[in-house]
Amino acid sequence: MTIALTIQDVHVTLGQSLILKGVSLDANPGEFVTLLGASGSGKSTLLNVIAGLQGVDSGHVLFDGVNVEKRPPRKRNVGVVFQSYALFPHMTVGENVAFPLRAARRGSAERKKVAQEMLDLVDLGSMFDRKPVSLSGGQRQRVALARALAANPGILLLDEPMAALDKQLRERMQVEIKRIQQQVGITTLAVTHDQAEAMTMSDRVAIMHQGRFVQCDRPENLYRRPVDAYVASFLGEANLIEAHGDDGRSPVVTGTAVVRPEDLSLTRADAPAGRWAFEGPVTLLSFQGSRYRLELLNVNGERIVCSLGPHTDVSGIVVGRHVRVACLDPSLVHIIDHRSVGGAVEQIEPVA
Amino acid sequence: MARTAPPPLTRGVGWTRLPILLAGLAACVLLFIVPFLVVVATSWTRTSFVAFPPQGFSLSWYRDVLHDPEWTDSFKVSLRVSAIATLIAVVFGTLGALALSRLRSRAARSWLRTLFIIPMAIPPVAYAVGMYSVNLKVSAFQEHLTLLVLGEALLAVPYVFVVVSTGLSQADPALRPAAATLGAPWPMIVLLVDLPLILPQILVGAVFAFAVIFDEVVLSVFLAPIGVKTLPLQMLNASQEALSPQLTAASTLISLLVMVLLGLVSLVSGRRAARARAIARKAATA
Repeated sequence: MTIALTIQDVHVTLGQSLILKGVSLDANPGEFVTLLGASGSGKSTLLNVIAGLQGVDSGHVLFDGVNVEKRPPRKRNVGVVFQSYALFPHMTVGENVAFPLRAARRGSAERKKVAQEMLDLVDLGSMFDRKPVSLSGGQRQRVALARALAANPGILLLDEPMAALDKQLRERMQVEIKRIQQQVGITTLAVTHDQAEAMTMSDRVAIMHQGRFVQCDRPENLYRRPVDAYVASFLGEANLIEAHGDDGRSPVVTGTAVVRPEDLSLTRADAPAGRWAFEGPVTLLSFQGSRYRLELLNVNGERIVCSLGPHTDVSGIVVGRHVRVACLDPSLVHIIDHRSVGGAVEQIEPVA
Repeated sequence: MARTAPPPLTRGVGWTRLPILLAGLAACVLLFIVPFLVVVATSWTRTSFVAFPPQGFSLSWYRDVLHDPEWTDSFKVSLRVSAIATLIAVVFGTLGALALSRLRSRAARSWLRTLFIIPMAIPPVAYAVGMYSVNLKVSAFQEHLTLLVLGEALLAVPYVFVVVSTGLSQADPALRPAAATLGAPWPMIVLLVDLPLILPQILVGAVFAFAVIFDEVVLSVFLAPIGVKTLPLQMLNASQEALSPQLTAASTLISLLVMVLLGLVSLVSGRRAARARAIARKAATA
């Protein structure tokens, strides 16, 4: 009984500060949407609003078209995985997972059966009688997930689900959560500040900045066609270059070009200079395992970052030597047109 | 997740480490153990008054105390008063701590905290005199231990409140919201989440409260009905009248009782901690 989630123009003030300044979102049944933003962007507050743990100043939250702002958390039928997992330390794993059924006054046989099923779903069937303290971080996270799903909620909310895990486990759990989410087919809203996590798990990613959605789209589109410099540099690395082009008729189009480091490659110095070629002394060359990272200082004083394939011939490239890099396929360069994105200009920062 | 032991302090303190340790040890012995031993020693004297050093050795004062109804009755009164007052203090102290954990406003929190700690700050004599004047007005109280029990309970509330609210503040703040989103109404959250979590702190608070009440003499002086004595009151009387070694014998017995109780408590909690550590170790190696 997964639901469609609609958020309409939600405003929230905490103390004196405006945390959410008019946020709207539509999530289809079964869709996985991630709220991505730096800390303080309001993403966790939005999650609390949906769970009912935070009231709204104005705006609406609708589950399948029904207004739920007035409903307390326990009547919203949401499953939440908290950042700390919030497992009850005095209960066994099985009792934790059965808790929502106990709250719903189901019989003990049913509680046990469902809890066992949920634990099997997250591959922890043998941990039924253990206490949460005796589990590893990844296991605790899966118990929290099983508990959140046990009462068959309409929507699953994940608050920084990977924050407490180390890097390798994080990557495994991202795939695992995605698998379970698809198996259950539940509408899911996750909050994270980790862009790789957002892109791995989500159907759509909403980028939040200072209490607003900057852009909400499929990960590929966010990466390839960011609406402004903030999105461009928040999702992956980007060379942001002031672009003065001409489109044939009008002389100058002012915008910012987004050139991704991996779209640049080394070219010979005597090759014809393309439109997106940069030349200058190397300031850094480092091997990073699967890629080389090369930085150079462009003629205009811009720092250009390139990510080169591991089999690139870098012999003879040393710091200080002049090299030329170019994006050979101009269609990969995305131009943020300052005239069409009102207000975007002031947010542009130089590549840092 | 093996925890490594903190590095030894030897380097930091240098050669002063041993002298500091010895000085600390000496201070402990001097301040805590010597006075106690003096009390114990005076209780086996053969003289009929408290004398140090004791003269001779006899356990007759112990037999005396255990068979004297003045002492045994006052012990029973004290047990009764302390038990009931502790129960009341635990209920109110815990409720206060739960309320504190549910307040969001900083100002309201600090007001509530102050309110619950005030009884610690009021001089017991002033407080006892105040209650005494109430006792005089309301004749219904005079025959009973009611007002004494209530007064003692009030004195002990801050101890329970402080210990329990510390326990609550250490719990994961997400537990209650989690229970709420899982569908639990508030009485269920209190019963299944809050109380089991702070049960150890409630027990510790109860021990503190009991100890405070059991030892408290000022309120007894003013509020005990005529002819009824609590143990501290009986001790006070004994010290003022004859300074008989009965007094130190009774103190020694009480101290031994307390030590046995505390020993049992730490044994139980030590067992629990060891079990928890063993489970954690097993999980780490698994």
